[in-house]
Amino acid sequence: MKRHLVTASLSSLIAATPVLAHYGMIIPTDPMISQEDGRSVGLTMSFSHPFELDGMMLDTPAAFSVTHEGATTDLLGDLESATVMDDQGYTLDYPLDRPGTYIFAMEPQPYWEPAEDAFIIHYTKTYVTAYGDDEGWDTDLGLKTEIVPLTKPFGLWEHNVFQGIVKMDGEEVPYAEVEVEFFNNGAGATVPDDLMITQTVKADADGVFTYAPPSNGWWGFAALNTADYTLPQEGEDKAVELGAVIWVHFEEWTGQ
Amino acid sequence: MDGTVIRSAALASLLIAAPMVAEAHQLVVFASVDCEAVTVEAKFSNGNPVQQADVRVLDGQNALLVTLPIETDGTVTVPLDSVDHSEGLLIEVDTGSHDNYWIVTPDDIARNCQS
Repeated sequence: MKRHLVTASLSSLIAATPVLAHYGMIIPTDPMISQEDGRSVGLTMSFSHPFELDGMMLDTPAAFSVTHEGATTDLLGDLESATVMDDQGYTLDYPLDRPGTYIFAMEPQPYWEPAEDAFIIHYTKTYVTAYGDDEGWDTDLGLKTEIVPLTKPFGLWEHNVFQGIVKMDGEEVPYAEVEVEFFNNGAGATVPDDLMITQTVKADADGVFTYAPPSNGWWGFAALNTADYTLPQEGEDKAVELGAVIWVHFEEWTGQ
Repeated sequence: MDGTVIRSAALASLLIAAPMVAEAHQLVVFASVDCEAVTVEAKFSNGNPVQQADVRVLDGQNALLVTLPIETDGTVTVPLDSVDHSEGLLIEVDTGSHDNYWIVTPDDIARNCQS
């Protein structure tokens, strides 16, 4: 009997789906737009498991904006509904009228995750530079929670380190936990263990974290903290996970 | 469409002729256009405007149309009716130690003149 229990237990473990990290995603067609690339950038927004390429429902975001040269413009009404990773997402083609860094930011609606008995809100952003001008690459948008880059968040070689400061309500978050995941789109990356789908680093006492990716491509950094408020779900107050997400592209090294 | 690669023949010929310079302390050159004029802006990568440079305006066949001195605020204005812009314009900014360029395509002119 004891042996049967052990066997049954093992079977259920094997059948269990690993808990995949959720990521808000804003992926541009190119993080560095030159004049030869055209006069706009395409963006694809989703709520997904980026390594597994598993999409989830992204309801119409609560906010979507672009910040350039200190001015923030509401783009929520410009989003186009689209299917991304077989689920609801959005796209946008945004004209780049001037040089400089454009920061696209999305605040999704709270996502109820029964498996975690909590809501999830990922404040998601990415940085796009236009026409050879990187001014504004370290812009702090002042979001509820945010990763402010210490490393220029574009023009990075694979294996370069990326550093950022995790902030919540404008303050650094000491020892914040930052999940890191690769957007496995067309790369065919595999893992020897599910633990490696999402890697985790911790910030230091000043909220600064460091990571060096093993390959080129899009890498998502999500600093997760619990909100100081709750939201109602079927008459009960539930915790809210706040994610500060930034997507950074690393370029393939071209040397020998 | 704004997001696609610009494929005009004029641009292709301009690209072949254009200098390909990207050095440390990079020079950033940009030109906006409306129905009246091209406004050229040049600054260094640290944000400082270029104080002294030659601005060369070439047509779609790479023929030099005019050379102008840049203003101390790093800009210069080129009236459209003073140049043949039918095949686009190549704007070169040359400080003597740094140079870079911006291409004004026929699409740029048409798009911004309509808006």
